[in-house]
Amino acid sequence: MLELVDLSKKFKQNDAVKNLNMFIEKGEIIGLLGPNGAGKSTAISMLSSLIEPTKGDVRFRNKSMIKHPAPLRNVIGVVPQEIALYEDLTAEENMQFFGKIYRLRGIQLKKKIDEVLEQIGLTDRRKDIVKTFSGGMKRRLNIGVAMLHDPEIIIMDEPTVGIDPQSRNYILETVKRLNKEKQMTVLYTSHYMEEVEFLCDRIYIMDKGNLIASGTKDEIKRILSAEKTISIQADRWNDEFIEELKQNPTVNRVTVGEKEITIIIPREVNMFAAIIKMAENADVELNSVDVQTPTLEDVFLHLTGRALRD
Amino acid sequence: MIGQIVKKQALLLLRNPIQILLLVGLPIILIAILSTALGGMMMSGESPNIHVKLAFVEHGDEEAEIQRFLGELEDEGMPREAIEEMETGIEQMAPVSILKESVLGSEEVREFVELHEVEASELTEIWDDNSYTAVVEVPENFTYESLEYLVLNKNSQPVLEVSQNDDHQIGPMIINDILIQFQEQLTLGAFLEKNGIEQDVIQLDEGMFSGETLTLDQKNPIGSQEYYAVGMTVMNVLFIASTIGTIAFMEKKIHVFDRIILGNVSRWEYFIGVLLSGTLFSFIHLLIVYGFSWIVYGVRWPDLISFFTVTASLAIAVGGIAVLLTAISYRFNSEMITNFFAGIIVTLMAVLGGSFFPIGDSSAFIRALGNLTPNGAGMSSYLMILRGDGIAEISHHILFLILFAIASIVIAAISFPKRGASV
Repeated sequence: MLELVDLSKKFKQNDAVKNLNMFIEKGEIIGLLGPNGAGKSTAISMLSSLIEPTKGDVRFRNKSMIKHPAPLRNVIGVVPQEIALYEDLTAEENMQFFGKIYRLRGIQLKKKIDEVLEQIGLTDRRKDIVKTFSGGMKRRLNIGVAMLHDPEIIIMDEPTVGIDPQSRNYILETVKRLNKEKQMTVLYTSHYMEEVEFLCDRIYIMDKGNLIASGTKDEIKRILSAEKTISIQADRWNDEFIEELKQNPTVNRVTVGEKEITIIIPREVNMFAAIIKMAENADVELNSVDVQTPTLEDVFLHLTGRALRD
Repeated sequence: MIGQIVKKQALLLLRNPIQILLLVGLPIILIAILSTALGGMMMSGESPNIHVKLAFVEHGDEEAEIQRFLGELEDEGMPREAIEEMETGIEQMAPVSILKESVLGSEEVREFVELHEVEASELTEIWDDNSYTAVVEVPENFTYESLEYLVLNKNSQPVLEVSQNDDHQIGPMIINDILIQFQEQLTLGAFLEKNGIEQDVIQLDEGMFSGETLTLDQKNPIGSQEYYAVGMTVMNVLFIASTIGTIAFMEKKIHVFDRIILGNVSRWEYFIGVLLSGTLFSFIHLLIVYGFSWIVYGVRWPDLISFFTVTASLAIAVGGIAVLLTAISYRFNSEMITNFFAGIIVTLMAVLGGSFFPIGDSSAFIRALGNLTPNGAGMSSYLMILRGDGIAEISHHILFLILFAIASIVIAAISFPKRGASV
């Protein structure tokens, strides 16, 4: 349905996106994951025809959209990371303006506004000025505006940044519902691993402008199938214990937190007894030692050597 | 679509009362302050808006006194022919009639003196009425004694009794001046007549009481209120351009512009929307401030067609600036140019254009430079209309405004981003 082929964007000497290849099929929820500065927003801007790529192509139903993006623009709704709304207008006035931008008029527009306000839970606040809204409500309206023209594909660029958990859950549930009820295709970018895990069928992971992994959730987690994660909990650590873990030849990676140390080791290795012994030798009193199922966070850590929110 | 963009811009402006107050209220306040404070520095000023309510009381009967005087001439043994000649021209020597009709009743004086002829019996009531500026009482035998003094050189010159209302400031002084002038003219006329120079000279020159000032080229003079009404309005309308520019850049910053582009709205539709908003709001702004100046300060336009032509041309020029500021701020992804325009360039243009004082009077070069600013060209046109010039005389200014607008629009179109504003 929608395809990015070797898409690249260079700003002066900086490669914001390098040879990005992606495809999106109808009805899917696709996650585009990566830390800040990974190139997600640039990729979305190219995909939605707002900026021209330095190289590569955006193909919609097998036609290039680089020079003539109108057919693509008609079927996409973009939710930018910023609150792209007029804060001095009411929710309804914003919807009326953007609805008319999408050439909706009269009763059709009114019905659509009612429907979308209902979907995003802002019917009661339709007459209120947007600047009086909470962050979560603004985010919901930001999404609502992108849904007015019934887009086939909705592109959400970090739609939950800076909002409370309740609003975040509301937005995630709304996205899930839209996908299920309207078969809306969703491209969802985030640097929140758990959101992508919750929502997405397939995932693309970007870092420093490069696509570093892609596949279904299971496929990506299988990257860690040769390894396992062990979480060690204690009230305090000392250098001797940490150093001993790092020096152990079977340990692939050690990440030290305040009360938790995470180590990645080969799946076949059993280190339980060795960890207990190391703790005794270093005089560290352990609270627990758990073997964890790998998460996308672990995958990202594995692929880049750093946490998503670093 | 363009209509939606203009409508939305209007809505955003209306939702910002402080901005509206600055755009409309500020010039109105500045007109009041500057025209009052700097009115004295103007080359040609007009009379302040003064209203004098004057009560006029005659204790005697002028007609009877004239007849009595003519009878006295006979008693004096004046030849019959001389008496008959005087009788014919006596109307031109009747001082009370002259004062009432030719002086206080003249068209020019009537503009600021409201004359009420009242009976002596009403005097107490009038003195209690604080709305009267002064009361002029003509004592009994005033005409008789005046004629005796003027013609026969008998007695002393009789005087009018003037009671002034101390609560009124300038009005009593004006009445006093008029009466002194009247008395002097009357005496001078009699002196000239006695010396056989010209009897008609006793007729008072109505022009000497005129409150009107003429410019050297005999065109209508420009008062301080008219000058500053124009100066402040053409300066302030420039802020419409920066306001529209600011709104447009905000749309880029918060990615609303991207949303508009993604709605398959051509960037040219947006561009024209900004241009039309700037033009339309400027036109409305000019009409509001000039409308207010007309109602409150009495600034009237003798030629409405010329006025509307200049207003429309200036509004298009401001629309051009609005779209130019928008395009440059989009190009450089910075609001700096709009802020610089509102903070520095408008002030410079206002000084050069003569908004604060007639800077062009001191140098032809500065005048020419001032006319190369849209506000300066607009101001020159407006002042020329107020002086009585027609559209032909101001056509070069109108042409400049249109060319300025076209140049701004072309530069803006070249600078405007080719796609969305993202990144």
